[in-house]
Amino acid sequence: MIPAFDFVQAKTLNAALKLLSGKGKNVKVIAGGTDIIPGFQIESRRFQNIDRLIDINSIKELKSIEKKGSNILIGATATFAELVDNPLINKYFPLLSKTAITIGSVQIRNRATIGGNLINNAPCADAVPPLLVYNAKIRLQSAKRTHEISLQKFLLKPYKTALKPDEILTKIILPILPEDYRGDFYKLGRRTGVAISRITLAVLVKIVDSVVKDIRIASGAITPIGIRLIDLEKSAIGKTISSEFFKDLSIKLGKYVLEITGLRWSSSYKLPVVQQMFYSRLSGIVKGMS
Amino acid sequence: MKQNFSIVGKPVIREDGYEKVTGQAKFADDYKFLNQLYGVMVRVPAAHALIKSIDYSALKNLQSKIFIFDSNDVPGEKKIGLIKRDQPVFCYDKIVTPGDVVAMLVGEDEDELRLLARKVKIEFEQLPVLSDPTKALDKNAPLIHPEFGTNLIVHYPLRKGDIEKGFAKSESILEETYTTPHVEHAYLEPECVTAIPLEGNKGIRILGSIQNPFSARKMVALALNWPLTKVRIEQAELGGSFGGKDDIMCVLSARAAIAALKTNRPVKIKYTREESILESYKRHPYIMHYKVGYNRDGKIKAMKIDILADGGAYASMTPYVTWRTVVQATGPYEIENVWTDVRGVYTNNPYTGAMRGFGSPQPIFAQESIMDEIAIRLEMTPDEIRGINGYHAGSITASGQKLEKHDVNLLSVIGTAVDKTNFRSRWIENKNKNIIKIPTHKIKNKPSISSLILKKDEFIEPSNLLRKGIGLAASFRGCSLGAEGIDAAASYISVQPDGSVYLLCGLAENGQGMRTTYCIIASEVLGISPENIFYLEHETKIIPDSGPTVASRSTIMGGASVKIAAETIRERLENLLYLKWNIPPHENLIFKNNFVYSESDSQKKISFPELCSLAYGQAINLAALGWYPGPKVHWDEVHGQGPAYFTYVYGCQVAEVTVNIGTGEVYVDKVTAVHDPGRVINLLGAQGQVYGGVTQGAGYALWEEVDKHEGFVRELNFDQYLIPTSKEIGEIVPIFLEGEDIYGPWGGKSLGEPTLELTAAAINNAIRNAVGERFYNLPINLEEVLLKRKLRPEDLTRGSS
Repeated sequence: MIPAFDFVQAKTLNAALKLLSGKGKNVKVIAGGTDIIPGFQIESRRFQNIDRLIDINSIKELKSIEKKGSNILIGATATFAELVDNPLINKYFPLLSKTAITIGSVQIRNRATIGGNLINNAPCADAVPPLLVYNAKIRLQSAKRTHEISLQKFLLKPYKTALKPDEILTKIILPILPEDYRGDFYKLGRRTGVAISRITLAVLVKIVDSVVKDIRIASGAITPIGIRLIDLEKSAIGKTISSEFFKDLSIKLGKYVLEITGLRWSSSYKLPVVQQMFYSRLSGIVKGMS
Repeated sequence: MKQNFSIVGKPVIREDGYEKVTGQAKFADDYKFLNQLYGVMVRVPAAHALIKSIDYSALKNLQSKIFIFDSNDVPGEKKIGLIKRDQPVFCYDKIVTPGDVVAMLVGEDEDELRLLARKVKIEFEQLPVLSDPTKALDKNAPLIHPEFGTNLIVHYPLRKGDIEKGFAKSESILEETYTTPHVEHAYLEPECVTAIPLEGNKGIRILGSIQNPFSARKMVALALNWPLTKVRIEQAELGGSFGGKDDIMCVLSARAAIAALKTNRPVKIKYTREESILESYKRHPYIMHYKVGYNRDGKIKAMKIDILADGGAYASMTPYVTWRTVVQATGPYEIENVWTDVRGVYTNNPYTGAMRGFGSPQPIFAQESIMDEIAIRLEMTPDEIRGINGYHAGSITASGQKLEKHDVNLLSVIGTAVDKTNFRSRWIENKNKNIIKIPTHKIKNKPSISSLILKKDEFIEPSNLLRKGIGLAASFRGCSLGAEGIDAAASYISVQPDGSVYLLCGLAENGQGMRTTYCIIASEVLGISPENIFYLEHETKIIPDSGPTVASRSTIMGGASVKIAAETIRERLENLLYLKWNIPPHENLIFKNNFVYSESDSQKKISFPELCSLAYGQAINLAALGWYPGPKVHWDEVHGQGPAYFTYVYGCQVAEVTVNIGTGEVYVDKVTAVHDPGRVINLLGAQGQVYGGVTQGAGYALWEEVDKHEGFVRELNFDQYLIPTSKEIGEIVPIFLEGEDIYGPWGGKSLGEPTLELTAAAINNAIRNAVGERFYNLPINLEEVLLKRKLRPEDLTRGSS
């Protein structure tokens, strides 16, 4: 059941930050609520003893999606439905568009926000892998200061981030990529609609004359949290692409995931599949380029 | 016989459609009453335990007034049950499954009650848990209900011919084992009921999401030790049932009634999704061994079937569910020698009962899979082997019943499905193409790390990942209850002086669109528009007991009673007109478009309202009760022989799938569903039944499973229990082949359950066609396809992904 707490709708960012800076009370921010409300229902430990919830949905500057110089700035309370429809995202960050449309259902996409997805930091958070390969930074603001850190640094462990109690995640900052990158986002769930991810992969690659100049690989759901697979990326740069090479890289991915997670009840299924599908995606990206 | 209908067979929009899509329809929880209290359950965190004591002391000295109810407050029978009285209203000596309830707290604040329920201290002694039905009949198995001296709920044998001789004469024998899981009905609306004590000595009114009001009435009367007349059950609009709001609503109605009478205030019980899935009954898991003897020419000579059904904690409908299984277990094939045993047993698992299909989807999954395996071994196509063995007019069923007096159109149903999908050539083409082995099948139960890392030659090229398959399944299904029970239905019609009409049948609207079907039938008879018919709310006090709304019997039984009622009125109106117009009796009068006229003299014409007004002026009774008793059926329990059902329907579904052999995903591209439902009354309703049934059947095939751990249900909400969304299933094509029948309204029979029962088998056969491998255990989920087994969190100890 939903416990009793104060509910405050902040009209401005400053007002929200001021409310957060108060001492002695357990104050939490709510945006879409698609994690918090079900969290109440299942009596999740993460959402207990809350004294006050601050609703930041009506703060306009947190909703905007805009181009600033060589970056796209996404407001933290932009919903996935808004991302799906946004021409800037479709143009510059197609993997993120592809991700957004696979999240939950229409109703969930209408409420769930990109910032909430990052702050919740579930292992299966769909927005994380594409944002990681796009080298996303995030802006954190408190009444005292504003600073930016890389998304990877922000995500600490499952359901834990570097967010301080008095901070609000306000913007996701995405540097616009040169046009010669290609990529793909892959998601596997138990069904097509309203699916919780069992495997997610995001890949961005720049290939010149059949040689890998740059590659960025991120995973979700198969690793404890979404991460960039830096060692894998390093081992691939400078290699000539071929089906043999893609198989090698996929096997490496399998070994790497196994190293991080150890054998789990789901490993017999997930490990072969992740290798198979990574190979399939790499092959698909290259085929799409030719 | 070709008949010209005004409205029968046309697509008619649901009479309750507008109310429902605009949110005006009132469901059980939409009713609020003055001084209403809530009831919240107290449970024991165990699957099998003796209750030593219950300590309510934590509930003392509270600011709010709380009432406590347990077994001591049940004035009548402490245990109830529609077939076997084994289910306590409140458990007292022991609990036998985690859903069991030992007490109910009643008060004004539901949230507070939920917190308080946790503070009730129950001292209990754990008993050994029996969760594996195959161990239920072992000598040392824990007894679920010791008073019966056995865990056997029921055993149905069926013996036809000489099974040993049959196998001796067979050129080949195939033996296979298939299993199916517990399945949740997943109705959108969880259980809700309110009991309202009536002033004076008028008894109690119970309003809820109740599938079978007469069943609930019987059980409440039993628990209260009251006459049936004093228990008035009313049905609210039902948010889905699929057979699932029967026993559970009987028990909840009884609990609410007991509390309402004692507090003298209305008491509402409404379940959360978690409680609903925890306590409500499920579809029976089956373990099915089939041994089939056959000859090179495709003729099946002998079939030996051994089926074990997990009845769970209470008998519920197990004796009826498994009876349908024993009648239909061979499938629609004429076999000389049959030896079948179907047993239902108690376990500590959630109890199992009625669910759309009712003991047919399980054996169809097994037996239609085996038919394909035999076809493949004989290098025949699936439709060929069915053509050789399938029922036709005059065929003798496994129970020795001769199929006659209705269109035995199985072979034309199959033929239509095959033609419409170009089945044969596509089946052969896929079969020859799909010779790639699924590499992950070699991964063992306890895998070594190295076996999980792919070898280079195990990678599947992207162009080979997606395999296409096509498969079919066919069935026959006995209509209505058969020899299971008393079979009759009543309808009440009352025509008003202005020509508008009240209509009510003793069967209940559970979302299947029955009210619209009945309005169409009465409209057709009286020549008026369905909009002129006002369908009344179902209340047990105003309509005769018509049995439960189950077994796809609404159209054939209830529909026939509506037709009789309407025809009674029509006859009275005709007699009036013969006198008025001075024409010989039995001259044809046409009732059409809100007018009545003589066929031979169109000058003799009167509007329906005028005619009704005239009839009232002459004191003619324009109210009537239609009563339709089902024809005689019979069953010999010892040999499993007899005319089990008075008529049958036939169906064939073709599933087209794409299987991703890299991930195990199965996409249902298209399902073509050919059914003989008898006469189609509402085309739109019939199509709706197919869309829903096929989708539910696909869920059964690919996703749905209630997994238990020591009797505890793992999937308590829809984040874990996966039903198909609209994105999972491609096109569904309903095709109706309307067979003639002397029963039902103009031969209208059954459709609701046939639509579901075939789909899982058809999909399994399509997957076989796509990947060249047979699957034996539902659901055929991602792991089943890739590993040929299920993966569950306890397989390996670490992690929780």
